[in-house]
Amino acid sequence: MRNVRDAWDYLTTGANWGGSEGMWHLLLQQLLLSVTAMLVAMAIGLTLALWLGHLGRAGFLAVNVTNIGRAVPTFALLAILVTLDHPGTAVFGPYGRAGLATLIALALFALPPIFTNAYVAMREIPDAVKESATGMGMTGSQRFWRVELPLGMPLVVSGLRLALVQVWATATIAALVAGPGLGTLITAGFYRTDYPKGIAAALVVAVVAFVLEVGGALAERAVDPNRKGTAMRTTPKGGRTPEHVGT
Amino acid sequence: MHSRRLLVGVVAASAALLTACGGSSSSTATDSGAGGSSAPTDQGTVRISGQNFTEAEIVADMYAAVLKKAGFDPQVKLVDTRDVYMKEVPGSVDVVPEYTGAVVEFLNGTYNGSNAKPITVSDAQATIDKAQPLLEKKGITLLNPSQATDTNAFFVTKKYSEDNGVTKLSDLKGKSVTLAAAPDCKGRIDCEGGLTSAYGIKITKILPLGYASQQTYDSVIKGESQLGETSTTDGTLESQGLVLLADDQHIQPAQNLVPLVSSDFLKAHPDVADPLNNLMSKLTTDALTQLNAAVSVDRKKPEDVANQWLSDNGLI
Amino acid sequence: MPVTLLVEDGISIQPSCYSRLVNKWYCADYLKDRHGDLTSALTQHLQITAWSLVLGIVIAFPLALLARRLPRLQGLVLGTSTMLYTIPSLALFPLLVPFTGITEKTVVIGLALYALTILVRSMLAGLTGVPEEVRESARGLGYGRLRLLVRVELPLALPVIMAGIRVATVSTVALTTVGTLVSYGGLGDLIRDGVQNDFKAELLAASVLCVVLAVVLDAVVVGIQWLVTPWTHGRGRAA
Repeated sequence: MRNVRDAWDYLTTGANWGGSEGMWHLLLQQLLLSVTAMLVAMAIGLTLALWLGHLGRAGFLAVNVTNIGRAVPTFALLAILVTLDHPGTAVFGPYGRAGLATLIALALFALPPIFTNAYVAMREIPDAVKESATGMGMTGSQRFWRVELPLGMPLVVSGLRLALVQVWATATIAALVAGPGLGTLITAGFYRTDYPKGIAAALVVAVVAFVLEVGGALAERAVDPNRKGTAMRTTPKGGRTPEHVGT
Repeated sequence: MHSRRLLVGVVAASAALLTACGGSSSSTATDSGAGGSSAPTDQGTVRISGQNFTEAEIVADMYAAVLKKAGFDPQVKLVDTRDVYMKEVPGSVDVVPEYTGAVVEFLNGTYNGSNAKPITVSDAQATIDKAQPLLEKKGITLLNPSQATDTNAFFVTKKYSEDNGVTKLSDLKGKSVTLAAAPDCKGRIDCEGGLTSAYGIKITKILPLGYASQQTYDSVIKGESQLGETSTTDGTLESQGLVLLADDQHIQPAQNLVPLVSSDFLKAHPDVADPLNNLMSKLTTDALTQLNAAVSVDRKKPEDVANQWLSDNGLI
Repeated sequence: MPVTLLVEDGISIQPSCYSRLVNKWYCADYLKDRHGDLTSALTQHLQITAWSLVLGIVIAFPLALLARRLPRLQGLVLGTSTMLYTIPSLALFPLLVPFTGITEKTVVIGLALYALTILVRSMLAGLTGVPEEVRESARGLGYGRLRLLVRVELPLALPVIMAGIRVATVSTVALTTVGTLVSYGGLGDLIRDGVQNDFKAELLAASVLCVVLAVVLDAVVVGIQWLVTPWTHGRGRAA
C-alpha cells in the first residue's frame, strides 16, 4: 500500500496545495464551477418546476423530459459542445478553457434532479391544505409563497442537495477539455502511474463531496417545517411519499 | 390478486431481460480475428489486451490475425490505460502489443516507486536487457523488438514552420511557446522536461489537451498553442496542415514495438513466438503511419486495414 | 499520401461524408456502412444496463428493508450508498478490475453500486409511505410480516419504487458509457472512438442512440408499472 502512503504524503506536503497550480486553487475553481452550474440550473429548473407544479400543469411532459435529460452522457455532451464552433473551447472568465461548454454540460446535468423534486414537492401538497388556504382568502400567489413553498421546501432542498453533490463529483470531467478543477490531477495521476497524485486528488474530491452532502442534510433539516428528526417513519397520513424519488 | 399481477410484471420484466441477453460482443473486444474459422484451433485460446488508441488497435488486430493463422483462438480486449490491463498480466492476459520504453518504465515505476530513475536507453535490445530483473519479477517476457517505433513527437503548423524557418526542435531554442500535450507532460524527459533542458525551449504554458487528440491539433491550428505533442506515426498531420519538428538531439527513448508475452504462457505455447517475431521484423514506422492514416483519416476499420497489410506482406 | 475514402459516382473520386476531410455530423453513408458496429454496441449496452439494474434491485431491496426495520441504520445505509456515487466513475471501474478482471462483470457491478443510491432511497421512501392505519388493519386481520409485505406494503409502495427504478434505468444507460475505460462500454466505446479520432458522425450517432435507448427503456419500465398496478388505472378511478 505504498501508493496510499505516498498519497498521504502528497496531501500533507504544503507545496502541493499552494500556488496557481496547487490543489487549493483547483479545488476553489471546481467549487466555483459547480456552484455556478447549480445556480443556472436552479434559475431555470426551480422557476419552471415550482410554477408548473403550483399550477398543476404539464406534469407528464415535465417528468418525462427531465428523465430524457438524465439519459445524455455528460462526457459525450461535453465532447460535442467543445467540437462545435460555439461554445467551443474559448476561455470563459474564471472558468478557464472551454468554461462555457463545461458550465452548460454541468447545468444540464443538474437540471433533472432539481426540476423533478421541485415539481413533485408542489404536486404533493395535500389538496385539503390548498383548499383551506383558498378558503382563508389567499390568492394563488399568496398561497404559493405562504403555504406551498414552505411545505415543499424539504423536498426541494433534497433535490438541490443531491444535485450539488453529483455536480461536484462530475465536475472532474472538465479535465477532458483542459478545464478547471481537480479532475486534471486525477487524470494526470492515473494516466502515467503517478498514483499518489491521482489518489490524493480523488480523495480530496470525495472529502469535499462528503462535506457538501452533510451540509446539504443539515440544510434540509433546517427547512423542515415539521422538524421531527431525520429517520423516515410512517405517519398517519402516509408520510412524505416521493421523498428523494427524483434523485 | 395483487401478487398475481406482481407475478405477471416479473415475468414481463424477465422476458425483456432475456431478449437483451442474446450474446453480444463489444466493439473493443473481439472473439477472433477476421472472418471464418478455417484455421486449425489446436493451440488454444490466447488472450490479448492493450490500449484502445488507433495504432494499438491496429497492431492488436494484427497480432490476433497472425496468431489465428498459427492455430490459436485469439480474444482481444482493449482498455483505456496501461495500468488497467497490467493488473491482469500475466494472470488473465497472455499477450500485449507493447512499446519498449513505455512498458519498461511502467514496471520501473511500479516496483521502484514513481520517482525512480528512468532506465530506458536509445537502443531497444539494450533496454530490454537492462530491464530483465523487472520483467522476471512481473513474470513476462519481451520478444524481438521491431524497427518500427512510436515515440513522442512535436508538431507546428506548416505556416509557422515556413514563417519562422523551423524544421527541427533545436530551431526553437530560446523561443517562448505554449505547448498542447498530454496531462502528464510536465517534467517528463520525453516531453516538457526534455524540451526545456535539452533544447532550451521556454515553455510558458502547458495545456493538458491530450496526446495527439483533436483538441491538441485544434489548439495549434487556431494559434492558441504553437507546439503540440503527438506521435511519430501520426497519420493525420498532413491533411491538417501540420508538420513534425525533427528530434535532432534524440531526447526520445526507444519506443520500438515489441510483443509482451506472459512467461508461463510462452513456456506452455512456444509457437506463439514465431508469428509475432515475424510480424515485428516486417513492420516499419512508415507502414504504421500509413495504416494510422487509413483509419484516422479515411475511416477504414482497424481490423480491415490490419488484414489487408498482413496479406499484402505475406503474413496471413 | 494515402488514398482517401471513395464514393464512386463513375466520374470523380470524392471523400465520403464521414471521412475526416469532410467530417459531417450527420452522414447517411456512415449509418449504412457501420450499422453493424452500432447494432452490436447497442446490444452490449442494453445487456449491461439490464444486468446492472437487476443486480441493483436485488441488493437494494434487502437493504431498504433493513433500513426500515432499524431506523438507526438508515443514516448509514443512505449515507454509504450516496458516498458510492461520489467516487468518480473514472476511478471506480479501474478499481474493480483486480477483483473482477477485464470483463463485463466489472462494469455491471460498478453500475449496480451506483444505482443503489437511487434504488435504496426510493424503496425506503415507498415502503415508509404506506399509511400506518392500513398496516394496522392488515395486522389486525392476522397478516404475518411476509404476507403483510407482499400483499399490502409492496403493492402500495410500487408507484414510488417504480419511479425510482425509472430514474435508475435512465441514469444507468448514461453511465454505462464510462465502461469503455475497461473495454465494456457499449455505445460508450463508439463515443470514445469518436472523440479520439474526431469522428463526428460516430460521436453523434452513438450519443443519440444512447438517449433513444434510455427513452425506450423508460417506456418499458412505465409499461411494467402499468401492468403491476392495475388499481391506478382502473375504470372510474383517478390515476
